[in-house]
Amino acid sequence: MAKLRYIDALALALREEMRRDESVFLVGEEVGQYQGTLELSKGFLEEFGKLRVIDTPISEIGIIGLGIGAAMAGLRPVCEMMRMDFSLVTYDQIANHAAKIRYMFGGQFQVPMVIRGPSGVGLQLSAQHSQALEAIFTHIPGLKVAVPATPADAKGMLLASIRDNNPVMFLESLRMYFVKPDELEAIQPGLSEVPEDPDFTVPLGKANVLREGKNITLIGYSWMTIQALKAANQLAKDGISAEVIDLRSLLPLDMNTVLASVKKTHRAVVVQEQWPLYGCAAEISAQISERAFYDLDAPVMRVTGAFVPMPYAKNLENLAFPTELDIVAAAKRALGGK
Amino acid sequence: MAKTPSLDTAKYRRFYEQMVHIREFEEECLRAFQRGGHGIGGYLHLYSGEEAIAVGIIGALDLPSGDCFIGHYRDHAYALAAGSDPGPVMAEICGKYTGCSKGKGGSMHICDAERGFYGGYGIVGGNVPIALGLGYAIKYRQTPNVAVCFFGDGSMNQGAFHETLNMAQLYKVPVLFVLENNGYAMGTSIERSHANTDLTERVASYNMNRKRIDGQNIITVHEEVAQIVADMKKNPAPFFLECDTYRFHGHGAADEAKQTVVYRTRAEIEAAKANRDPIAIAAELLLDAKIITEDDIQAIHDEGVRIAKEAMTFSDDSPVPPADELLKDVYA
Repeated sequence: MAKLRYIDALALALREEMRRDESVFLVGEEVGQYQGTLELSKGFLEEFGKLRVIDTPISEIGIIGLGIGAAMAGLRPVCEMMRMDFSLVTYDQIANHAAKIRYMFGGQFQVPMVIRGPSGVGLQLSAQHSQALEAIFTHIPGLKVAVPATPADAKGMLLASIRDNNPVMFLESLRMYFVKPDELEAIQPGLSEVPEDPDFTVPLGKANVLREGKNITLIGYSWMTIQALKAANQLAKDGISAEVIDLRSLLPLDMNTVLASVKKTHRAVVVQEQWPLYGCAAEISAQISERAFYDLDAPVMRVTGAFVPMPYAKNLENLAFPTELDIVAAAKRALGGK
Repeated sequence: MAKTPSLDTAKYRRFYEQMVHIREFEEECLRAFQRGGHGIGGYLHLYSGEEAIAVGIIGALDLPSGDCFIGHYRDHAYALAAGSDPGPVMAEICGKYTGCSKGKGGSMHICDAERGFYGGYGIVGGNVPIALGLGYAIKYRQTPNVAVCFFGDGSMNQGAFHETLNMAQLYKVPVLFVLENNGYAMGTSIERSHANTDLTERVASYNMNRKRIDGQNIITVHEEVAQIVADMKKNPAPFFLECDTYRFHGHGAADEAKQTVVYRTRAEIEAAKANRDPIAIAAELLLDAKIITEDDIQAIHDEGVRIAKEAMTFSDDSPVPPADELLKDVYA
């Protein structure tokens, strides 16, 4: 086991898979000569050459189109969006093409590609660079949506996504990129540990019980899983035993793990960074209500971002996305407090 | 170049047959659409008037060696020109389980992976960036192949088109971009939609090799493209080819009546049918070159009608997709 930062785990997975499989290539803005906007692909151009590490113009439609065509022809492209926000520029290629090609051609083609990049809210990046867009992708049949929270899952799920024969939206947590292993270990021992096996994969569609508990289930993904763990630590001080489930992927969605936990704890809080209306937490909450209604002792709570474009000013930004305190408060409401 | 003595007799005879068979196939589709009862719903976009382009260009490809092509929603002709069995193509148009896309795609989403046809797409311009990837895969594997991308004049006003052409030239990918300029994007003429109506000139800014040709003349189309493709295989780089053409039917079968009310005249259509029909032009050229005879013309037409009816019978006799197909093929 190595203790790694999230960004280093991503880079490791990508580099090892490009070494192992010559059909894998990286395409995006500033991925080569610039060494990656956040230096995720540092040294890649030198190691793999420009045929496999493709610097592109600022042309997101072209990047995804190139990926789709190459994937249909049997390669395994990894398309980088410098920020996931920019994927909206090429949403037609993702939602109307990558997602639908297999079905509308009766299975004659498949599109084994990964569309990845930093995602999520915060860091004073404001309205157009700080948003959680996963619900825009989870609504589309044909896509898979991965939302890893930990360095180990960043590595294992990226590997699984590259080897998957479907288009995978791989939404990385920018907030997690540079968090030091020590900080993660302080939240929960083992949280920064990453298996060194180059074939270590974490399957899409299998949620992870990151912390076991008896009184309430906290359900999160990506950065919000980390917040839920912190909230569980807080709740423990008040004698409340919280179970924390990291969903890991939203499509496919592992409801069985969620339902088994809710049947045990009888209470649930679903946490997401994104806007509340029509979001992923709403879907999960609805499924719990439909499938475990008689196991519930309280309504399923949602903790979400505010329904606003992300403001720049730090004080306003802090009000716009959930923190561990919001999760603690929601848990206590579910447990009968005020 | 039209009457070069060195024309390959068997090849041009086949091209003529293909053009006629495609025309008759689509006329059968239109009759079935208007008659109802065969399962054709939604949209039906016919290629009538543009046959020399699909036949002449796909006929210049070496599909078994890895050449490939991608189309748009007016796509029946591409499959037939590549040699796809007309039965499954008709069955797809009619929403049958025996269709090439199991009845899940319909008229706009015909494909044939085995013959390098990466499918027809319904978003105008949406197929163009995908062609970049098909070309990039060829470059990646360093094989002497080309990818052909068919699109219409409407696609050239999409941002996707311009991103693609810039990147294709930047990376020197072997994609032949074929503009089928039939003068209308649905009901909007070139004049009403392009600030510069010289569409080949619009591409000049990308430093891409380019040419405008008569898309109604099968010999011109094929001989030009054969040369272009040979050059691309020797020196990989993209090429933009504008084929001047005309579509005889409405944008879709559903606007057959409306077209002459809202965007073009009956006289314009009739003049094009009289003077610019690629099949009539081919007949004259190939009679001159003694590649076909007057008797052949009737026989080939009759054979086309027979094949189209046979395809429709195959479709009529085919089952619709079973209900348990609904959720299949979403994920690999």
